[in-house]
Amino acid sequence: MRRRSGTLVIGGSLVAMVILAALVSFVWTPHDPGLVVPQDRLAGPSGKHWLGADKLGRDELSRLMVGARTTLLVGIVSVGVAALIGVPLGLVAAMTWRWLGEILMRVSDFVLAFPAVLLAIMLTAIYGSGVVIAMIAIGISTIPAFARVVRSGALQVMSTEYVVAARAAGRRPVGIGLRHVLPNVTSLIIVQASVSFAIAILAEAALSFLGLGAPPDVPSWGRMLQESQSLLQQAPRLAIVPGVAIALAVLGFNLLGDGLRDLLDPRLQQRRVEVQR
Amino acid sequence: MSLRRPRVLVSVVGFSLLAGCSAGSSSEESSSATAAPSSGGGGAQGPSNDPISIGLVAEPASLDFTKNDGAAIPQAELGNIYETLVKQDQDGKIVPGLATRWTVSPDRKTYTFDLPANATFSTGAKVTGADVAYSIDQVKTKWTIGLKAKMDPVSAVDATSPTQVKVTLSKPSNSWLFDMTTRVGAIFPKSGGDLANKPVGSGPYTFTRWNRGDSIVLTRNDKYWGQKPHFKTVTLKYFKDPTALNNALLSGTIDVVSTLQAPEALSQFPTSKYQVIEGTTNGEVVLSMNNSRAPFTDKRVRQAVRYAIDHKGLIDTCWAGKGQQIGSMVPPTDPWYEDLTKVTPYDQAKAKSLLQQAGKVGATVRLRLPNLPYATACGPVVKSMLEQVGLKVKIDTLEFPAAWLTTVFKNADYDMSIIAHVEPRDLPTVFGDPTYYTRYNNPQLEPLLAAADQGSETDQVTNMKKAARLLADDAAADFLFLLPNLMVADKGITGLPKNAITEGFDLAALGRS
Repeated sequence: MRRRSGTLVIGGSLVAMVILAALVSFVWTPHDPGLVVPQDRLAGPSGKHWLGADKLGRDELSRLMVGARTTLLVGIVSVGVAALIGVPLGLVAAMTWRWLGEILMRVSDFVLAFPAVLLAIMLTAIYGSGVVIAMIAIGISTIPAFARVVRSGALQVMSTEYVVAARAAGRRPVGIGLRHVLPNVTSLIIVQASVSFAIAILAEAALSFLGLGAPPDVPSWGRMLQESQSLLQQAPRLAIVPGVAIALAVLGFNLLGDGLRDLLDPRLQQRRVEVQR
Repeated sequence: MSLRRPRVLVSVVGFSLLAGCSAGSSSEESSSATAAPSSGGGGAQGPSNDPISIGLVAEPASLDFTKNDGAAIPQAELGNIYETLVKQDQDGKIVPGLATRWTVSPDRKTYTFDLPANATFSTGAKVTGADVAYSIDQVKTKWTIGLKAKMDPVSAVDATSPTQVKVTLSKPSNSWLFDMTTRVGAIFPKSGGDLANKPVGSGPYTFTRWNRGDSIVLTRNDKYWGQKPHFKTVTLKYFKDPTALNNALLSGTIDVVSTLQAPEALSQFPTSKYQVIEGTTNGEVVLSMNNSRAPFTDKRVRQAVRYAIDHKGLIDTCWAGKGQQIGSMVPPTDPWYEDLTKVTPYDQAKAKSLLQQAGKVGATVRLRLPNLPYATACGPVVKSMLEQVGLKVKIDTLEFPAAWLTTVFKNADYDMSIIAHVEPRDLPTVFGDPTYYTRYNNPQLEPLLAAADQGSETDQVTNMKKAARLLADDAAADFLFLLPNLMVADKGITGLPKNAITEGFDLAALGRS
């Protein structure tokens, strides 16, 4: 029990740090993150630039803070898109005709086979690059994960006595879905969301690294990595800073997901009760 | 006009290659007096059995530049396999090539070229006036690429003797003679042949084999009529990935990196083992402003932009301090170059007051960048500098070539953009045509360009100088910098073309000390 909540606390605080950095950046950053100061090019960490300056003489810390916004925005929107589409699909797959469920699952297999990056490259080729396209691409490729988790959870709930009773009482499927099934799979959705969030952060970083995500003037951790690539020998710090930020954020969301699962999973809870008994 | 249209296409093809590289180099070969200052004129060392391997970026799609666009084909062949009657030296001057001398008639419509008596093609056949007439005629009748229009001014070609040929133009044209230094001026044997697989020319090297996806191998033409090159075999090795290219030099697979893709990469080559050659190109990185769209219809706003940009700071940051400031659309290797960087020096106060006068403080402009390294690196710098004087800049990136070409280049749906124009002498193309994407329409420019093309060499220089100054005064665009030609090579290699201003990469002058 104590060990489990440790995961939760560490994950939660890492995530809170990212959120805090993003929120603070709205009201204060050490410098304007877009301000180019030629004299400060590649300046090392100092009182003026706590984390140094990049190759255009922009303050690294300010960019890191504003970059957290891009990261969170992409995470929230893409996970939102995925959940909004994936959850209803999972419910439909579990609660309606068996053949429809099978078809939906095969389609989701198909989508799963497409890596987010590939999808994003395709969408970028058609609609041009940008954060919005990146969010949609990541969102779409995360839909199957939600649909599958929700379906398997819902199938279990559907076989419980109270659902059988509700059906016998003549409740309409929509009512059963909303009143009985959805609340019982919420914990699964939350856990899946935090794990998907971590994946979305990585995907956004990868896309921006490839130049398919944020435009050049929008600070993003992936883009910061990309810009530091040619300077690896001269200023490795420029790659380490966003790299560590990405790693910590991903770790944070993964730990949070693990912690939440332990906390919310009814079967685990049951076991806990048994152990206590 | 007939000249300009196709060049639009050409320049597009040109800078699409620049995505990878600014291909091209000197075609200077035997006269070591004009060889790159950084080198000793390798050809003078005399022939040896040594091989050399050169790393390049873009592999040709075919070996036939009469039917295929792309800078990589002439880069490998021009000046090496094929020769042109006249060529451009490292300083941009037009000097004798295959022709030993040429004369122009007083009405500037007839050019007479004298050929050397001992010149032969690699097949052994003599190079005659008839071959030259055939080659020029082929451009007009058989070539399929847009560049063939460069031969349009020619109305007649007569091989007056085996060693003399007379070309008559329909109107005087200085640009025609310049174009003869490029691929359209290449001389082919009149017997024809399989250009795509077995190119045959009169140059110092002959084609040996092409390992597709990897390399092209050339061998010294021991029957060459001029000074024979030092290296017996030259391997042109192609790398798609710049890191692989740099690593190939570090590991000794190649001797020369023809063009360094990112100036930051220089730091990995220790100066004890390698030499860095920094020269110029024809690639003007232009911060274009859509002259037909508010706020850039107002000259004061355009000037404000030019005053607002700290060009030295910009080059120092986004291109690691490599590259030269140019104040107009002229690289220093053109005869009419003059320093126009002082026309609108960096002056934030002046920029602010100009914006104020125009009533455009706080105006939002959209900077649409192609996703090319120099553009995405310099875009944020331009944005930051313009925002410091009171413009608001929104950046978006467009995939290059397709999306950028359609949106910015074809439909001119942009306020500002950044692109390198790599065609030589492209001032008339970029600003002389009001339908070109810059949408620059200044009636004063056209007469200057016409006078430059049709007058004597002196007239050409005077008028082009005026045209370049007009663009700077009128702030038709801002010229961020001239792309540098950054070459890295083993220390002993000599004769490398410092300035990448010609279509061919000159191999004949190379040597090893």
